[in-house]
Amino acid sequence: MAAPMELSCWGGDWGLPSLHPESLTVMAYAKFSGAPLTVNTISNSWRAPKGDVPVLISEDIVISQPAKILNFLRKQKYNADYELSAKQGADTLAYIALLEEKLLPALLHTFWVEAENYCSVTKPWFASRIAFPLRFYLPGKMSRAALNRILLTRGGPPLCSLTEVEAQIYRDAKECLNLLSKRLGTSQFFFGHTPTTLDAFVFGFLAPIYKVCFPRVQLQEHLKQLPNLCRFCDDILTCYFRLTVSGHSPAGQDTADANLQKLTQLVNKESNLIEKMDDNLRKSPQHPPRKLTTLKLAAGGEGSSPLNRLSP
Amino acid sequence: TLCFQAFLQMCNLPIQVVCRANAEYMSPSGKLPFIHVGNQVVSELGPIVQFVKAKGHSLSDGLDEVQKAEMKAYMELVNNMLLTAELYLQWCDDVTVEEITHPRYGSPYPWPLNRILSYQKQWEVRRKMKAIGWAGKTLDQVLEDVDQCCQALSQRLGTQPYFFNKQPTELDALVFGHLFTILTTQLTTDELSEKVKNYSNLTAFCRRIEQQYFEGHDKDSSATAPARSAKRSLLR
Repeated sequence: MAAPMELSCWGGDWGLPSLHPESLTVMAYAKFSGAPLTVNTISNSWRAPKGDVPVLISEDIVISQPAKILNFLRKQKYNADYELSAKQGADTLAYIALLEEKLLPALLHTFWVEAENYCSVTKPWFASRIAFPLRFYLPGKMSRAALNRILLTRGGPPLCSLTEVEAQIYRDAKECLNLLSKRLGTSQFFFGHTPTTLDAFVFGFLAPIYKVCFPRVQLQEHLKQLPNLCRFCDDILTCYFRLTVSGHSPAGQDTADANLQKLTQLVNKESNLIEKMDDNLRKSPQHPPRKLTTLKLAAGGEGSSPLNRLSP
Repeated sequence: TLCFQAFLQMCNLPIQVVCRANAEYMSPSGKLPFIHVGNQVVSELGPIVQFVKAKGHSLSDGLDEVQKAEMKAYMELVNNMLLTAELYLQWCDDVTVEEITHPRYGSPYPWPLNRILSYQKQWEVRRKMKAIGWAGKTLDQVLEDVDQCCQALSQRLGTQPYFFNKQPTELDALVFGHLFTILTTQLTTDELSEKVKNYSNLTAFCRRIEQQYFEGHDKDSSATAPARSAKRSLLR
C-alpha cells in the first residue's frame, strides 16, 4: 500500500487536535478520506518552524501547503470528493476562496493582532510549545506576518488606520459566517451525508474560532448564534476526533477499543461463573465447614482456580 | 473596468467612460474604477453594486439565499484567483514587466517619473504577493491555478446562458470583465488566453455578453486601442 505518511503540525488544546487552521484542515481531510497519517506535534524540532506548517513527509517527499497536501493525498487514492459532481467540485473551490478572502483575515486578527488575545492566550500558548530560544522570537514573527497580510490585502487608502480595517474585516467575516450557515442549512455536511474537502476547510477555519477561549470574542459570539455551524463542528469533533490530543492513528484506536471490549466481556463471564459457583456452594448441604470446603475446593480445583485468581 | 461597464449595461444604466491619468487619486478609495453620479463618487464593485441597488436597480433580486451565497463565493474565487494571477503576470513576470507593463503604466508621465512610479507599484504588488504566499509560485503554477479556476467557472456555467440561468447577475459581469481582458490583451505569451480558450462555453459566454451589451456602444466606449482591435477579432 502507500508509504507511511507523517504530518508535522501545531498541537491542540481546548478539545481540538490542533489550533492552527491549516493543520486542522489537513487532519480533518485525512480522517474523512481514511488516510493513515501519523501526526507529530511540533515542539522541539528546529526544522519545523520555518513558516511551512503543516508539513507532510512521505518517504523522501516533503509537501507544505494544505492544498498541495490534499492533492498528494488524492493521488494516493485517499479521495474524500469521490462522489461529488463537477459542479460541486467547482462550488468547493469557490467556497474555499470565500473562506480565505473573508474569514481568514478576521481569524488571523483574533489570534495574532488583537492585543489582549495575543498577549494573554496566543503568545504564551505558542511560546510554551516552541523550543528555547526560538520561543522568544517566533510568536512575534508570526504576529507581524499576520498583521502584514491583513494590511496588504485589506488595507487601502480610505482604511488607513487599523481600527477601520478591523471593523471592515469583522463585518466581512460575520457575513461569511452567515453565508456558510445559509449554505449548510439543515444537512449534516455541505454535500450531503459524507464529508468532503469543503467540510475539512470549513472545519479547519471554524473550529479554532469556536473552541479557543479568548478574552475578546466577538467572532465567537457571532458564530454561536449560528447553531447549525456549531453543530457541524461538534459533530466532526465527536465522530472523527474522539481521541483529541494523543494523535493515535485511527486503526490503532479501533483495535484498542475492540480489545477493551473483549476483555470486559471476559471479565463479565468470569464474574457470572463465580456467582453461579457461589450459589451452588450455598445450596449444597451444610457439613462441618472446614473439611467440606477443602474437599469441595480440592474437587472443583479447576473450576475454582479462576475464583482464586480473580479474588482481590 | 470592463466588468463595471458590463454590470451597468446589464442594469440598463447609460454610462460614459473617461480616462484620466490621476484617476487613482480622484477615487475615494484609491482604487479604480469609480463612478461619478451627480455629486456622489463611489468606487469598487461592492459599493457600486450597493449604490445602484439603493437607486432601485438590482440584478440579484431573483436569487434565493443559497444562490446568493454561491454567487458571493464565486465572486471571491474570481477575485482570489483571476485577479491575483493577472496582477502576478503583469508585475512579477520579468519579461512581461519589462516589455509591456512598465511602458504602459509609465506612459502618461515624463522620464524619470514613469520609471519611479512603475517601480513603486511593482514593489507594492510584490509585497502583497509575498504576504499571500504567491511569491514562491512559478509562472507554470500560476497558469495551473488559472486553469483550475476556469475549469470551475466552466463547470458551474455548464450549458446555461448565464451563471444563474436566465438572468445576468453581478457574477456574470465580473467574470466577463476578467475573461474578456485576458482574452484580448496582448501579452508576450498567449498561454493565459490559451487556458481560457480551452473552455468553449466560457468564450461563447464572453461573445454573447459582448454582442448583447456592447454592440451598440462601440462609438461611445473609450476602451484602449488594443482592446478595440482585438474586440473585432473576438467577434469574428
